[in-house]
Amino acid sequence: MSALLDGFFEECGELLESVFEGLSALEADGGDQEAVNAVFRAVHSIKGGAGAFGLEALVAFSHVLENALDAFRSGAAQIGSKEVQLLYEAGDHLSDLVERAARGQVSGGEMPDLHRALEGICGAVDQEEDAGLDFQPLTLDILPLEPEPAAGFDIVFRPHATLFENGHEPALMLRELGELGAIDVVADLSALPTLDAGLAKTPVLGWQIGLESDCHRAQIAEVFEFAEGLCDLEIIARDAEGLKVEDPVTQSDIDRPEVVERAPARETIRVDLARVDRLINIVGELVISEAMLRQAMTEIPVAKYGPIEAAMGQFRQLSGQLQESVLAIRAQPVKGLFQRMSRIVREAAREAGKEARLVTHGSATEVDRTVVERLVDPLTHMIRNAVDHGLEDSDRRQASGKASTGTVTLSAVHRSGRVVIELQDDGGGIDRERVRQIAIDKGLVGESDELSDAEIDNLLFRPGFSTRSEVSNLSGRGVGMDVVKSEIQALGGRVSIHSEFGVGTTVTISLPLTLAVMEGMVVETAGEILVVPTTALRETFKASNAPLHALGAGGHVLNRRDGLVPVFDLGSALGFRTAPGEYGDHSLLLVETEAGRRVAFAVDRIRDQREVVIKGLQQNYQEIPGVAAATILGDGRIALIVDADQLAEPAVRGGAELYGGAGYVQ
Amino acid sequence: MSLKDQLKIMVVDDMTTSRGLIEQAMNEIGIWNVVSEADGQSAFRTLMAKPVHLVISDYNMPNMDGLQLLEQLRLSKATARIGFILVTGRADNAVLQKGRQLGMNNCLLKPFSVPQMKACIEKVVGRL
Repeated sequence: MSALLDGFFEECGELLESVFEGLSALEADGGDQEAVNAVFRAVHSIKGGAGAFGLEALVAFSHVLENALDAFRSGAAQIGSKEVQLLYEAGDHLSDLVERAARGQVSGGEMPDLHRALEGICGAVDQEEDAGLDFQPLTLDILPLEPEPAAGFDIVFRPHATLFENGHEPALMLRELGELGAIDVVADLSALPTLDAGLAKTPVLGWQIGLESDCHRAQIAEVFEFAEGLCDLEIIARDAEGLKVEDPVTQSDIDRPEVVERAPARETIRVDLARVDRLINIVGELVISEAMLRQAMTEIPVAKYGPIEAAMGQFRQLSGQLQESVLAIRAQPVKGLFQRMSRIVREAAREAGKEARLVTHGSATEVDRTVVERLVDPLTHMIRNAVDHGLEDSDRRQASGKASTGTVTLSAVHRSGRVVIELQDDGGGIDRERVRQIAIDKGLVGESDELSDAEIDNLLFRPGFSTRSEVSNLSGRGVGMDVVKSEIQALGGRVSIHSEFGVGTTVTISLPLTLAVMEGMVVETAGEILVVPTTALRETFKASNAPLHALGAGGHVLNRRDGLVPVFDLGSALGFRTAPGEYGDHSLLLVETEAGRRVAFAVDRIRDQREVVIKGLQQNYQEIPGVAAATILGDGRIALIVDADQLAEPAVRGGAELYGGAGYVQ
Repeated sequence: MSLKDQLKIMVVDDMTTSRGLIEQAMNEIGIWNVVSEADGQSAFRTLMAKPVHLVISDYNMPNMDGLQLLEQLRLSKATARIGFILVTGRADNAVLQKGRQLGMNNCLLKPFSVPQMKACIEKVVGRL
């Protein structure tokens, strides 16, 4: 029973998705009958299952919701935008009740007002429901199933040339036939030409097949389904004594059920997530061993290398495809996530006394499941922020000539191997003067600091920043935009904000499609091998050619066209060595952090750039500042993946102290 | 051979959970010869090739509901005599009326208990 119950809750998730899908269709074009039907069906299914498991609160509410939907369906009640909002509220409540039930809370959590509002709609519907079913059963005689199963069949199969031209293989059909029962195949060689007659241009073989099986004729016909019209086919049923029980039926006589083909539903299977993860891990290992193989090959003399090279190329391509396909298993559309957000918008708007709606684009965009899950919190917070701080109230909107309902737009799109999620509001935009003043008051920046617009906008991501003096119920839940940012960064993502005063604010999140692999620059320093994620990397050059200037005790800055960038030894930052006083043979990696700060890492040598499989450190060891994860290289060595953003912070702070300025020197 | 052993049943329901519940009920009643399908279309296709004695179908399904499936079955000679029990969540008179016209054998209101399901089948095929 408990497995069925778990299955029920899982199914409820899908059904709730259809509910909200239907509701957004209703919202978009009013009284679409099919949309109402779909919502009704889903709610009805939830009620049915809930009833079977005795989930009372869920049954009671889905019942009244179902009745209301039935009233809309039958035309007894009209559906308008007010009703759609009510249904949305009801859908949200239904989700809550499902969640409660899944946690084992069978009753409680009722919302009497909502209940009454729905009852008000279906008041017109008669409530004779519980009278039970008044139906006079119709009895049935149980006869042996017709047609009487035959003991076997005699089949004559003679392919035409067209069968072979269409690429069909008789042997496969015979083999499939063999799965239906014991078969006895005799090839009819009578038309076989003698050897001296030369090669036959037309097929000369036929088969007589005896099949012992109680299967139905249609199953045999199914085996030859694709050979229809491309062969002579006779299927004759016989009884146990080997007598014919029916007249021979040829292929064309077999009646095919005339069923209107609809687009087939996507076939799916449910798989334990742990199995998929195991598969992903194995493929990760495969990618590593492919790299190892490639590495080993570089040591083989070129003469021997050549022939392997082609095979190696193919292997590489296949393992790449394999990796892609496996990761696609974990990918899921952001649709569910977006639907959850539409609820957040409704709730936030209600609480803030504003009018708001969510518009989504690209909800079919697929992202790794873990990424989707871990986006819920940051996105929720950002949406609340957008409604609470971004959108103006209706009066102010109307005064500035905008529609009274604010629009929050959430979109997802794949862009160069990453997924970009954009959250846009058509509110008032960031009041930069106020933001600056608050940052000064809180000591985040100095009174005399010159800040660009982008820098002011980015202040919102600084820890301890909140523009509202009173903590509102909405966004002020103990997480600021700084937490949002660090959560996004933990996913290997970047977040940026762009705002136009009076027009609105756009927050852009760019995320890797998967958390399992990433592109990195493999470098050597202090005898260690490290990987620097290429997402943070802007440029690389030799220290000997770079315009380096010594500054202070052992400090260096890099002179760039647009300013000075602090230089900073990667090996010493991670505690592998003390910083060298001079950079001669070293290579420099110019890194830009999410906040737009730049720093140059000095390393001994750059090895190459490649895709690496990410192996988490937290679960095997512990969190190490400055290290994001680890990977295994082609030669079997373990390399740490550098957390460029984290490492850049102290470097920049150090620089700031040196110059007494904010961030880096312009 | 007892009736229980002889009886062959198909369960049709789009929801895995409800399908599971009916299958489980069959199991408890002691009817072993049970196949199931997740939608009306494939149920009909399978029944054309491999008929059963009795179909127990949900009413509320997308694309082809229980009554549409019944109608299809009655229209085709090979499946016209298959028994049909409709399982429904709502006692909707219009549905029952239409079912009666189509030659529905019995119906059962959800949620049902195993004895209720058993009684419902017995009213159609006799004592199990």
